[in-house]
Amino acid sequence: MRKRLIAIIALVVAGAMLFASAAPEKSAGKEGPIELKFWSLFTGGDGEFFNAMIDEFNASQDEIHMTNDMVRFDDYYTRLTTALAAGTAPDVIVLHQARLINYVPSGVLLPLDDYVSEEMLSDFQTAPLEACRMDGNLYAIPFDVHPIVMYSNKALLDAAGVTEIPETAEEFLAAAKAVKEATGEWGSLIDNTTGTYKAYTLTRLFVSLVNQQGGSMLTEDLSAAAFNNEYGYNALVGLQMLVNEAGVNPNELDYDAAMNMFKLGEGAFYFNGVWATGTLEQTDGLEFVASPLPPFMGKSAAWTDSHTFAIPVQKNQDPVKVEAAIKFIDWMTENAHLWAKAGNIPTRTSVLEGEEFNALPYRADYAAAVSSVIANPPTAAWGEIYETLSDLLESAVTHNEDPQTALDGMEATVNEIISHY
Amino acid sequence: MAIPGNKDIRDGILFSLPFMIVFALFMIYPLIFGLYISFFKWDILGTPSFLGLQNYADLLADEKFWSSLWHTVQFVLMTTPVLLVLGFLMALLVTSKSPLRGIMETCFFVPYIFSMTVVATLWAWIMQKDFGIINQVLNILGRDGVSWLTSEKNAMWSISVATYWWTAGFNMVLFTAGIKQISKEIYESATVDGAGMLQQVIHITIPLLKPTTILCLILQIIASFNVFGQVYVMTGGGPAGSTRVLVQYIYETGFNYFRMGYSAAMSYVLFVIIMAVSVLQYVFLGRRED
Repeated sequence: MRKRLIAIIALVVAGAMLFASAAPEKSAGKEGPIELKFWSLFTGGDGEFFNAMIDEFNASQDEIHMTNDMVRFDDYYTRLTTALAAGTAPDVIVLHQARLINYVPSGVLLPLDDYVSEEMLSDFQTAPLEACRMDGNLYAIPFDVHPIVMYSNKALLDAAGVTEIPETAEEFLAAAKAVKEATGEWGSLIDNTTGTYKAYTLTRLFVSLVNQQGGSMLTEDLSAAAFNNEYGYNALVGLQMLVNEAGVNPNELDYDAAMNMFKLGEGAFYFNGVWATGTLEQTDGLEFVASPLPPFMGKSAAWTDSHTFAIPVQKNQDPVKVEAAIKFIDWMTENAHLWAKAGNIPTRTSVLEGEEFNALPYRADYAAAVSSVIANPPTAAWGEIYETLSDLLESAVTHNEDPQTALDGMEATVNEIISHY
Repeated sequence: MAIPGNKDIRDGILFSLPFMIVFALFMIYPLIFGLYISFFKWDILGTPSFLGLQNYADLLADEKFWSSLWHTVQFVLMTTPVLLVLGFLMALLVTSKSPLRGIMETCFFVPYIFSMTVVATLWAWIMQKDFGIINQVLNILGRDGVSWLTSEKNAMWSISVATYWWTAGFNMVLFTAGIKQISKEIYESATVDGAGMLQQVIHITIPLLKPTTILCLILQIIASFNVFGQVYVMTGGGPAGSTRVLVQYIYETGFNYFRMGYSAAMSYVLFVIIMAVSVLQYVFLGRRED
């Protein structure tokens, strides 16, 4: 009998230990700082700057303590979504603006209007802030804007006698050819093949070029593809021509290789998001210029995305924690010049006009790009469309497919994707 | 049964209970829930809406589903025979009288210990087009580098080569165990009768290994049908989706695009295919041995 009792007690204790971790956490007590949790998707170059910011935030005050948990980028949204579904998401999360649409309709993000002061909001740039608003409610606060920009290798341009950064498609092609003839290095380094990443650069440029001509990727009601026309045709032919007819861009080039080749001075023009700046400027012996994406096909327009902070809805939302989270977001965006070290463009006027930001090289050169960024289509299907177009453009460019056939295929695929959402 | 004081059944249940709870929670429940959700449209966060057989109907018309299935079949065909032959040859070497057999056994089996991510990342860098060691060596020899992973012609073969290196050792272990079970007298009498090494392998080892070979074949086909990790890490399904395998497509639709219902429907189709292949193998190959 006693043995049995001991066994039962042991079982109960073991069971209690198993489930102890699932017990709701106590809200911050009176003593000690308010504990907040954050999940970051920043790895690699970005991650160092971000972690340094968190440390500095924690050191700057003793009211709030933020714990940062880094998640591998590939798994981030999977983990976040399951955590949101299970109600175990952290106190503050980071989301790409393009992804907001996947979360807002399910009501898992807290509308922030009641918590954020007018004064704070008025400091933000209108375009990135409005992009976080849906049906009149503010669901996130933009931390940065990261459009695609053009990087040029100064030494190669000098060697080829190119004195001006090209502005039009013709000038670009002429400069790329001149570099190739004079130096034997590549004129442009646009990655076009899946490696560690898909050929996203092709999609980013395609979106940019279509918009530069006044077109758009989807129809206004987001119900169908809108790029199977002369805009899409010109954009695609332009991208194909660099690799094939003109031969100034390597074929079967993947993302990592493109970045490495530009670092090694093996190509004159390189296209990537502004996040590459932080890495490029640490490369010894590389002298480069960073400029907003030139208006190759008409007006200025560049693909972009934006990192935003959001607060998940919790089962027992603790107003103290929400307030602390807002303070954290306020501090992070107000000190975004630290984040600009990674290359990103801050979103608050006070930072953009501040000394610290303007003292950084390169950033101020492309900060103007913020005014001509393209908003991501607000549809849950966009994620799949974006990924799928990267595959189709990769095939069209690397195989030099007939542009009209390729566009027809892209249009049909995009329409089919939309029909599933 | 009713021996006084014998509590085998009760104890048996008690001892297996921890496992059974975990098994039911993490295997049986998801299995049933997966089937259930395959009739719905569901994005994890929202409420599922009933679609009936719509997901299964969509799947039949989905070009990407068929191409992914075909890539999977390609991988199965490219890897299964080679892995069986390699494993068998390795086992022959390891069970031979060579003084190096200990070292060989270790060398052959060590790759299998590494995690998939380590192996795939390693090979992805070895085969990288511009900076990988293979192409660097080719360049030194004055030849052009090869697009191992970035050309549609080579990518699946390159993934297969990495898989050979990684998993052949496992088949070797199975074959070695099989070979060691064959009684020595048979070989001795064959030697007395004047049969050479090759004849012994062909007429004794191979026929007597049949049960092991069938086991290896079934396990290998199931494993190859479930390929995902190597492809995901080495090519990401590229170039241009030409190595996207079915499990990867299932993962993408489920966890990147959050179309859980469709993803579950595809999983069930894969399940049925693997089941059918295994049953067919069992019926045609396995039965006669008894």
